[in-house]
Amino acid sequence: MNEKKHSAVMEKISSGIEGFDEITRGGLPLGRTTLLMGGPGSGKTVLALQTLVSATTHHGTAGIFVAFEENARRVSANGESFGWNMRALEKKQLFFIDARVRSDVIKSGSFDLTGLLAALEAKVGEMGAKVIVFDAIDVLLGLLNDPAAECRELYRLHEWLMLHALTGIFTTKVEEGQPAVSARYGFMPFMADCTVLLSQRIADRVAVRAIRVLKYRGSPHVLNEVPFVIGPAGVEIGSSNGVHPEPQPFVEKVSTGVEGLDAMLSGGIFRGTNVLITGSSGGGKSSLAGAFIEAACRRDERTLFISFDENSRDIVRDLGTMSIDLAPYLDSGLLRMEALRTEAASSEEHFMRIKRLITEQHPRCVVVDPLSALSRVGGGLAARAVAERLIYLCRNKGITVLFTSLLEGIDPRLETTTLHVSTVSDSWIQISYALLDGERNRALSIIKSRGSKHSNQLRELIFSDSGITLADPYTAGGEVLMGTLRMEKENALLIGTGNGQ
Amino acid sequence: MSEALNAGDQPKGAYVFRLYLAGGAPNSVRAFANLYALCRKHFPGSHRIEVIDVLKEPLRALAEAILVTPTVVKLSPLPEQQIIGDLSEEEAVLRALGLPQKEHQ
Repeated sequence: MNEKKHSAVMEKISSGIEGFDEITRGGLPLGRTTLLMGGPGSGKTVLALQTLVSATTHHGTAGIFVAFEENARRVSANGESFGWNMRALEKKQLFFIDARVRSDVIKSGSFDLTGLLAALEAKVGEMGAKVIVFDAIDVLLGLLNDPAAECRELYRLHEWLMLHALTGIFTTKVEEGQPAVSARYGFMPFMADCTVLLSQRIADRVAVRAIRVLKYRGSPHVLNEVPFVIGPAGVEIGSSNGVHPEPQPFVEKVSTGVEGLDAMLSGGIFRGTNVLITGSSGGGKSSLAGAFIEAACRRDERTLFISFDENSRDIVRDLGTMSIDLAPYLDSGLLRMEALRTEAASSEEHFMRIKRLITEQHPRCVVVDPLSALSRVGGGLAARAVAERLIYLCRNKGITVLFTSLLEGIDPRLETTTLHVSTVSDSWIQISYALLDGERNRALSIIKSRGSKHSNQLRELIFSDSGITLADPYTAGGEVLMGTLRMEKENALLIGTGNGQ
Repeated sequence: MSEALNAGDQPKGAYVFRLYLAGGAPNSVRAFANLYALCRKHFPGSHRIEVIDVLKEPLRALAEAILVTPTVVKLSPLPEQQIIGDLSEEEAVLRALGLPQKEHQ
């Protein structure tokens, strides 16, 4: 196995899916056999077709799709719905074979796949095809209904592919919960050089798709299960948190939109970093987000505002009461607002959607309000990974980000976030309530701000119809005065200075 | 290339079969022998067998959706019926053709 002649770099065929090529370190093995396994609806057919379409579209490789289970026309129509130009491809480079077995067929005695192989061989010669997909090979094997014959015919198919140096992609069903390598078709993964398992689970009533490369002969690959989605353009696999080049850090500071806060942060936050705002419900996180957006738009920077479970129009109206007017920027297109519904999709789907929006709009600033909405569906661990990837994605693109996160705990001193993103956030601003002398006042403090000096004081956060302000701290007997107590102190000082004159 | 084997004139209601086989593969040879014997026994003087070698006409097999060999298609009388295999399980063939299944002659 470790002889030197085997150490040559394996040639690969790109799947056209960035994330898939990443976990397979370049795609599927060229001139070899790949097996895609998964339950019904797990996305095997889409992944196989997408790889084939990518090979034909981007590399001019001709290919054949043999459909054993589904109507070949429907498979093609499905591809069309993902925006792949099936009709044009089918004129020349892509050929579909409807290989469904008639339901009324009678079996009598032994038979084999010579007919199919002869037909394929002729077609391969005619088109110069290099890639062949056998979709739902289990259906064909079921027709043989004899373990020895199944094994024999599959090997024959495999031998034939090898002989012609064709890249074969087989898909086969495995039932959910069943071991990936069932006794019956246990020989299949051994025949294949690359075996991929696709799965679909329900977490918090939301479907979560995942993909895992079980084995890849002669090639390194990501061992972990990686979430994926089937989006409007087919299979999308996010980054597996592999190594990314560290972007050049910015030295420029951008305003948070609140003068007092900028002062506390000695000039604002560094461009290309992220700021996390935590607080309990009604604390004013969204208002700070609004101020940040308005400031970004004033600087003429494209901004993307992702909100969860709130209508964009309501947000604009509410911010309007604090003299934060986003309407003109929305109209000019500088600001894009996307209101997402938490429960409509898994956190992975949300991530892919946000990623698409970022790719489309190229924003310089992004706001996600609240990021903690992600953890509500699809499993906390997955949401946490998504939140981190979102942060890395923005960091790599040099986007300045403001996230808000709800603190669900009753005890505000437990300064943790549901997504534990505080560890990857560059700056962390906490809004809390200070109960003092029968009043509930908002207090703002900066827990951390990487790479810059920041105030360690607790300030009163005041929302009024003229905007957001941070009151200067007044301390008395080691306590920060807020609300009425602060005003009394201020008045007392004013009177005091008046008397002195 | 196809080859027609005629057993005399075909009266109305003749049985017409098309046999797709793969050259001289053992199961193909058996299928032909079995089909020929069956026709002589059950439809003497009123059958026709058309043989298609998929190795020689692979694209035709593709166009006619023939996946496995040997495959026999009963074209007439209607309805069309497809039988796959070397026809060694006679009972299944007779059932498919709607013929009495227990004949001991």
